Amino acid sequence: MNDAGKAVVEARGLFVSRSNQLVIEDANFTITEGDYVGIVGPNGGGKTTLLLAILGVLPTDRGEIRLFGEPLQRFRNWELVAYVSQDATSFDSDFPLSVRELVAFGRVNRSNIGRRLRQEDWKAVDDVLETVGMSGLSAHRIGQLSGGQKQRVFVAKALVRNPKILFLDEPVTGVDAVSQEKFYRILSDINLSKGITICTVSHDLTAVFCRMSKVMCVSREVNIADVSDLKEPGEFLKKAYGEHFRFAFHRHECEGVFGNG
Amino acid sequence: MGVFLILRKEAMIGDGVAHTAFGGIALGLLLGISPILTALGVSIFAVAGIHYMRAKGIATSDSAIAVILATGFSGGLIIVSLAGGFTVELFSYLFGSILTIDATDLLVVSVLGLVTLVFLGVFYKELLSMTFDEGGSRLMGIPVGPLSLAFSILVASTIVLSIKAVGIVLVVALLVLPGLSALQLRLSFRGTTAAAIVFGILSMVLGVLLSAIYDVATSGVIVFLAAAIFALTAIYKRLG
Repeated sequence: MNDAGKAVVEARGLFVSRSNQLVIEDANFTITEGDYVGIVGPNGGGKTTLLLAILGVLPTDRGEIRLFGEPLQRFRNWELVAYVSQDATSFDSDFPLSVRELVAFGRVNRSNIGRRLRQEDWKAVDDVLETVGMSGLSAHRIGQLSGGQKQRVFVAKALVRNPKILFLDEPVTGVDAVSQEKFYRILSDINLSKGITICTVSHDLTAVFCRMSKVMCVSREVNIADVSDLKEPGEFLKKAYGEHFRFAFHRHECEGVFGNG
Repeated sequence: MGVFLILRKEAMIGDGVAHTAFGGIALGLLLGISPILTALGVSIFAVAGIHYMRAKGIATSDSAIAVILATGFSGGLIIVSLAGGFTVELFSYLFGSILTIDATDLLVVSVLGLVTLVFLGVFYKELLSMTFDEGGSRLMGIPVGPLSLAFSILVASTIVLSIKAVGIVLVVALLVLPGLSALQLRLSFRGTTAAAIVFGILSMVLGVLLSAIYDVATSGVIVFLAAAIFALTAIYKRLG
């Protein structure tokens, strides 16, 4: 990706703790506009913690985070930022809500509190459902959806706000390989066609190296690299997953696995 | 309102408020001022207490409600025994008596009903969004704390004002049953709310009529009808 692009997220000397345990140590990285970042690392390595710190939900111990050039403490343009949490799709399946009603939540914000959603809000909802390929199911109850459909609906809910950056926390756990690949393809399309910066936690290393522009490895330390610069992805990942970790990756595999790579 | 209450998993807050209101009513009778007013004051104080305990992490929602419920009810008992009685009047509050409702009550109920409707209408999407995902809604800039406190205060007022009609013991049923029945139908949110309102009105009107015809306790018939509707919708859900 283009390194001359505008910095969207910057971290300098960042330390974050959770329950008095240091989880992120001295993180330094920059995510630029238009990046598609795969966040990888072992369980408990601090991926979610790092995201929550960037979102200002968790306090930081030391260091600085900047969003769109603005220090986090002073950042107010939260409508530019969208986030799908790890447990977004584990809701009460009896909750009486249609897909369309759920996605419309994404249009609720500070500026329209106490007002009805307008025609253009509903149009945005329908457009974004189209983008994620869920228009046909917009009147369905959310409890009836499959795992893969739920993810796409929650991404739609995040996207309907027209964010500049989208954070996803492991949105494909427990979904079959075909749906998962479809999901990453939709994200690629959104990244390319709308220019939305995407940072997604992922355990699917092949998808990260085939689809995404940057890989961020989080296990207390945070390392980030351009996927195209990495000659030895396995070596890069060893820092996080340990010496005995093996990840053989060859670029030509992407075409075999993903068809249109 | 019942639908929101159920989805927020706060149905028991109604019970808590109703029992606390007992303390308020006893206090009002003791002091010789309008028991509904004192009950309203005590109940609003109670929900504020529940919110405070939850926000500060002193107690979870259900245990906070249990604490408040016990405190209010025991306070009421002490007052009753101190005052040595007024059982007849208190009895009418415990079990409700629709015939004791006077013009002032009717006016207060109507005004409150209107306020509730307007509140739910205006903040419909915010309430729904935070009911579904409180943390996410907070991130999107919705004032979750103030809205949920306002909601609880309205719930408390609704309960206190319904006490005269159906009584402390049954008031929660009236609030929760129509919503619960509507949820069985598996509709969209809009549809569920509409169905809940229809079920509520249906059991009220039919209940008053039937109790007049057969000369039985009105509150009993109303709640019994609401329960019957719930049973029917639950069966419908199993069959459907």
